[in-house]
Amino acid sequence: MIFEYSLLNQQCRRFVGLVGMMVAPVVGSSFAAPIPKGLEGYKSHVAPFFKENCVRCHGPEKSKGKITVHSLDGDLSAGQELERWELIIDVLEHGEMPPEDEDQQPSEEERKAIIAWIEQGLRDYVTKASKVAKAPTVRRLTNFEYQNTMRDLFGFELNLIDDLPEDPIKPYHFNNTAAMMLIGTEQMDRYEQTARRMLMSAIVDPSKPEVHRVRKVWKTNTSVLEGLQPDEVSIRGNRKGAVADGIQIKKWPKTGEFRLRFKAAAILPDGYTQVPLQMGMGYDRSGNTAGQIEPVGMVALTNDVNNPKVFEMRGRIENYPTVPEHRYRRGGRIDGNLVIIPPHITVTPQNIFDDGMMQDNADPLSRPRAVVEWIEFEAPVVDVWPPEYHTQILFDSPLRQSDPKAYVREVLKRFMTRAFRRPVESEEVDRFAKIYDIVSAKLKLKTIEEAMRETLAIVLVSPDFMYHVASEGQKLRHYEIASKLSYFLWGSMPDEELFQLAQEKKLDDPTMIDRQVRRMLDDERSRDFVRNFTEQWLSIDKMKTIPINLDLFPRFLFTYPVGEKKGREIVNRPTIRDYMMKETSAFVAELIAKNESLFNIVDSDFAMLNQPLAYHYGVDGVEGLELRRVPVKPEHRLGGLLTHGSVLIGNGTGTAPHPIYRAVWLREAILGDKVKDPPADVPALSDSAGESAEKATRIKDLLRLHRQKESCADCHVRLDPWGIPFERYNAIGKFEAFAPPEGATIKPFNPKQHRDHKSYYDYVQRLKTVEVDAVAKVPHGPEVDGMRGLKKFLLKDRKKDVAKNVIRRLLSYSLGRELTYHDRYEVEALLEKTREKDYKMCDLIVLICQSNLFTRTQKP
Amino acid sequence: MKQKSWHLNRRDTLKGMGACLALPFLESMSWAKGATKNGVLPKRMVVSYFSYGAYMPGGQNGIQSLTGPHDPWSWWPCRDEGPLTFNKSSAPFEPLKDYVSYLEGLDHKGGWGMGGHSSGDVFATGADMAGNEKKNNISIDQVAAAALGHRTRHASLVLGTEGGTGYYGRAKTLSHYGPGRPIPSLSNPQQIFDRLFRPYAGKNMDQIRSAMECRTSVLDIVRDQSKSLNKRLGREDQEKMAEYLETIRSVEKRIERNQEWTHKPLPKVDADGLKLTATYKDPEDYIRCMYDLLYLALQTDLTRYATLMLESEHSVAHAIGNFSNTLFGYKGNTHDISHKRPDKFSGMWDHWRAVQHAYFLQRLKDTPEGDGNMLDRTLVLWGSAHPHAAHATKNYPIHLAGGNHLGFKHGNLHKFTGKKKKPLANLFVSMLNSVDVETAKFADSTGEMTELIG
Repeated sequence: MIFEYSLLNQQCRRFVGLVGMMVAPVVGSSFAAPIPKGLEGYKSHVAPFFKENCVRCHGPEKSKGKITVHSLDGDLSAGQELERWELIIDVLEHGEMPPEDEDQQPSEEERKAIIAWIEQGLRDYVTKASKVAKAPTVRRLTNFEYQNTMRDLFGFELNLIDDLPEDPIKPYHFNNTAAMMLIGTEQMDRYEQTARRMLMSAIVDPSKPEVHRVRKVWKTNTSVLEGLQPDEVSIRGNRKGAVADGIQIKKWPKTGEFRLRFKAAAILPDGYTQVPLQMGMGYDRSGNTAGQIEPVGMVALTNDVNNPKVFEMRGRIENYPTVPEHRYRRGGRIDGNLVIIPPHITVTPQNIFDDGMMQDNADPLSRPRAVVEWIEFEAPVVDVWPPEYHTQILFDSPLRQSDPKAYVREVLKRFMTRAFRRPVESEEVDRFAKIYDIVSAKLKLKTIEEAMRETLAIVLVSPDFMYHVASEGQKLRHYEIASKLSYFLWGSMPDEELFQLAQEKKLDDPTMIDRQVRRMLDDERSRDFVRNFTEQWLSIDKMKTIPINLDLFPRFLFTYPVGEKKGREIVNRPTIRDYMMKETSAFVAELIAKNESLFNIVDSDFAMLNQPLAYHYGVDGVEGLELRRVPVKPEHRLGGLLTHGSVLIGNGTGTAPHPIYRAVWLREAILGDKVKDPPADVPALSDSAGESAEKATRIKDLLRLHRQKESCADCHVRLDPWGIPFERYNAIGKFEAFAPPEGATIKPFNPKQHRDHKSYYDYVQRLKTVEVDAVAKVPHGPEVDGMRGLKKFLLKDRKKDVAKNVIRRLLSYSLGRELTYHDRYEVEALLEKTREKDYKMCDLIVLICQSNLFTRTQKP
Repeated sequence: MKQKSWHLNRRDTLKGMGACLALPFLESMSWAKGATKNGVLPKRMVVSYFSYGAYMPGGQNGIQSLTGPHDPWSWWPCRDEGPLTFNKSSAPFEPLKDYVSYLEGLDHKGGWGMGGHSSGDVFATGADMAGNEKKNNISIDQVAAAALGHRTRHASLVLGTEGGTGYYGRAKTLSHYGPGRPIPSLSNPQQIFDRLFRPYAGKNMDQIRSAMECRTSVLDIVRDQSKSLNKRLGREDQEKMAEYLETIRSVEKRIERNQEWTHKPLPKVDADGLKLTATYKDPEDYIRCMYDLLYLALQTDLTRYATLMLESEHSVAHAIGNFSNTLFGYKGNTHDISHKRPDKFSGMWDHWRAVQHAYFLQRLKDTPEGDGNMLDRTLVLWGSAHPHAAHATKNYPIHLAGGNHLGFKHGNLHKFTGKKKKPLANLFVSMLNSVDVETAKFADSTGEMTELIG
């Protein structure tokens, strides 16, 4: 979602006129004693309270924020408009309403009494209603879940996500929300094709396939002693025919595992201990194709040239981009000669060393290099034939010969039990056995392999596979808990152990859940959960498409130094932007793995960094591309999530920071508020930051001007202050205490003028003479100075909100639905239990899995 | 801008069609004429959408000011109502003067309350999603497809640069079967080409037909299986599962339909003249390829109703949002142009869009058909759901082309402002009626758009 923040217009202006005219009515009810329950209390206290404090702006004449209170039904037990009541509690609790600048404020006593009255009514209703109310829980697997489930069901992984219908995205929401999942004919087609594709790979034909092997050797050219040798892979290109051109494969099997072997060593100039060598596969830019390379794997080479070593990597051939034969007319002309490019795949080694200064035209010889003696490609790998994943489906059995029908049924039963994540009934097996017969006959499929592929593809489009199901009865309850656990913590189907426990009906025991959750979080698969959860919770995905102003930040990304694409980003190479995404989920993963307090998200004494990240943030002594835990000092200005590049860049313009985006982020992702979309028809903030590289603008001043106009104050007064403390972190997420003075001109990077990046950087630094003002008075809080002040305030005064938000996010993700007022008291109970556990992340996840909301099936 | 290898000029285009289509095109024809026994030529309709509005300096909220000179970079070609004159931004349409109309002051009432970008969702539907309707409603192309789509191999063609359906407020498709049933748009040129021209992927017809029969029987069983699952569910979940069962039903209906078409010949088109591997990394190649595919689908009469979402209102989170970096070197997200409205970039951006759209119209116009050309029988609506910088939800930029032989009269700027205000849906009603889909009312329509008919 894009928040085009700007100013409220006419609506508010109209309102300005009204304020002066209103005279608050005086009411005389007492708040010393508790307000009577129900409608009686509404009439005697609540309605007069609204009338006195709220109706002026939220009543029949004016409905600011589209909220009115005059029309509320005072009888909460009727279950009407409880969302609105919940909202009223929240704004009263945070002192958000009435606005601070209103002269007339209710007393603290009044506020508390009203909150208590609403809470009472809400709680009574929820207690009563939870016995009857049910939210729909059926939903299809998200693409992420589908991908992982297929991997675990078959025992190997194909990239399927790109072929699937997209999941709905909504910033700060999880895409597993049941209500958002739609399916139609086109989507169904995609699922069917995808299932077939998987089965083409999973069930192999009986005859042992031909093995394709290609090997190429590179040698040092002894006649040329200067410069790079043909067998060297440097941080930048090499001459034609050098090892970086890789090997071309002209023949390969359609499916199957491949193996890359190569012999390599490192050339390490003084001060370096390793060089990261990545193998990529794909195709080159040629003819009318764009060129695309996908990584196969990476090794950090530490062995020197006297000790070359052989390395091996494996992958699935299906996952790599290949070009079918393609044709084009030379010169792009209709009458040009027809050029035919045969199908091919290229395997190419890449030196992805990155010390954060890769754009500085460093001499490749001064940086670590790799020497590759030879590369060998082999496919398919036939150590065992047929492969294990095949025999897992079509297992060896005498039945296959003696009673083919019984064999087919047994194959189906085994597969369906795992695919449906529950025991299957014999009539279900009947149905699919019938499908087996139909496809064999009608499609004239002669072998069991062919017919089984078709049949199992149908298993994979039946709703029992594609949907999460919570059944009415108790019979499958333990299996459903097993699935809930596995989809929450792995984004995938249960494993053998969980199935076993489900069969033994042991999965509703809190001790068992505790043990299982910890086991599952230790498993590698939980990384997927953390990444998926974190990226959606914090809505950081958008940082990948923010166009970074490379004139101002010429060092940030890898760009082509020369040629037609000069200045455009090199796509096939990991950059700091990729590492920033990893940094954020690695940080959350660390909190879970080490069972540390959730308040670390606000501030922590460590960061998860690799070399390019460390360079970017100004932390010394980190070498290599692996992310690891690094202690941070105050001068690093790091700690917590608020200073992550992913967050700061994603909520900036690529040229300048954007306090409003950052404010929205803080309120949504950290404090758990719902920030409304900007209203339609807002005039543009035409003079906002980031319009051009040349103009230095200080948005804080602009915002102040806007807030001074009364028409704008309304919305922005509650938003801007949260973003101002971020101002000392620039558009690429670096701490910068100084900015250019108002109206200063910054020239974009120009090699002729600035020579190199270093001197350009120095030039920009020289312009930065004015201290950035990052002081803001947070709404209903004190004045905070910059990030430190903000963090301190959050950890002092907003702890409960931060904790509650983390709990709500995890709970919502685990249940696959949005939380409502029905869940309000479950969340509070969890908050209390989490507090007892010192807010530790791993413990919190255990508590969620033990909670009623999680373990109960439809009938409590 | 560098002359890209396949920016064919008009002469090349004509020559090119002969070369790239294995059909005797130039003289007679449309594939349609051959296929239509009684010689009635097809009537076609295309709706395409660009996001973030257009540049309209001089005036407010999409209504032009009647004082002061007309800005050369305004999206509107001229200031005054009446015969069109063209400014810099709209210049690409000058050669098509008699085939285009600009309509000022039209919009969907249903989008008024949706705010900012969200109103783009209802561009082709006019659904009242802020008021009465929770889910989007049927789109204009699907009204036509439901009525007359059986006449062609594909009832409709739904294209979009970002692909898929998107979600509420950020649709990536213009087309909807009906409430809550968006049709995912196709964005991959190769896939679109294969779907249109190589649907059987080299299999013979007997295989294809028995595969279809097979599928029908299999789906029956899948339905049984779904029903047995349904029994285990609570009421709320059963409602959700109904969606799945409904899907099975529509897959079955589609098989029936496709079975009939296996008896009819497919047009043979080869892909040599197309850059099917183009992606949004090369914006111009990519957009042209999408337009070319759309053109070919219409020309070969594989379909008569199509939508093309050129940009979504959420392209800021898609690489497409960086078009303007690639094309014009703008240092920011393309979306920012629509707010900040830097003169130069706003004009370049609108102009670029106009060049691409005019290219498509020109191709239609250059293709003879019956006593005229394809554009004479193709209505092409092109517009956005915002007028200008502020993303207001009224007074869209609306551009209608073609249909000269379907009763439409072009060459003017029409104003539906002030007392003359009319719903955009009136135009939809007229468009539908002119392609023989009898329609009395669409969304909030109040009648026909008589001003354009004559």
